[in-house]
Amino acid sequence: MSVRLVVRTFSELCITVGALIVLFVVYFLFWTGVKAADAAEGEIDTLRSQWAREPAAPAPPPASASAKPSAPSPSPYRDGKPFATMHIPRFGSGWEWPVLENTEVRTLQKGLGHYSGTARPGDTGNFAVAGHRRTYGDPFKDFPKLRPGDAVVVNDGTTWFTYRIAKQPHRTVPTDTAVVDAVPRGSGFEGAGRYLTLTTCEPEWGSSHRLIAWAHLDATRPVSEGKPPELAG
Amino acid sequence: MYGWIWRHLPGNAWVRGIIALVLVLAVVYALFQYVFPWAEPLLPFGDVTVDGASAGGAGAGR
Repeated sequence: MSVRLVVRTFSELCITVGALIVLFVVYFLFWTGVKAADAAEGEIDTLRSQWAREPAAPAPPPASASAKPSAPSPSPYRDGKPFATMHIPRFGSGWEWPVLENTEVRTLQKGLGHYSGTARPGDTGNFAVAGHRRTYGDPFKDFPKLRPGDAVVVNDGTTWFTYRIAKQPHRTVPTDTAVVDAVPRGSGFEGAGRYLTLTTCEPEWGSSHRLIAWAHLDATRPVSEGKPPELAG
Repeated sequence: MYGWIWRHLPGNAWVRGIIALVLVLAVVYALFQYVFPWAEPLLPFGDVTVDGASAGGAGAGR
């Protein structure tokens, strides 16, 4: 009698644990994506209405990568708040994610995270951004497909910044913080410049390494002149 | 365990079935809303930053 009770309770526990695991997998693979898509959309809406409300000062005259930095009013970015959108045509024409300030867990659940303390888009230095490769919408799922010359377009409300990927994604270890230095180590860049660094995890489902992509600023275009050609097609 | 719960639910089989379903949904909601979001950062998949720390996306370094 009591043996039966023990066996029954044990099997019920096993079934419960199994159901829990299945539910967690559903949450992890599916539900985080739903949440992230929702959150990212909300952040982009926030940005758009913010930009519409306070149209930033008339954009500086069209500048090529060699022109003067456009830094009239650098008010600091607020932690966890969006300040730009990013578009990478290689990842799909509809690929658009908000870039939020800092790289904390909660921030990265809503979009891409800007490494606090690295440069702003278009500025001299390194504009470094981290994103999930899997779960939370899989923003950087196709990261290894990046090729030299691919465009990474950033919009901060006043200007479209078009960066060009310099080389194929580079694999490194999580402690290699020099990859987001102003002149990133291992990138092949020499001397100060306007760079962009993207980081995500490697392997796809693991965390033993990081995958890094570097780009340099190729062109800028005031928002008033419309989307850059990279996004038109 | 489940048998004990079933025996302590009120009403006939239909009412018990409906109450049990509501209970299951409540548990699933609590898991998705509170338990899993708490447990998820403890897994390594979220580490996408270079920060010199192995803890999930501490983001402190750079």
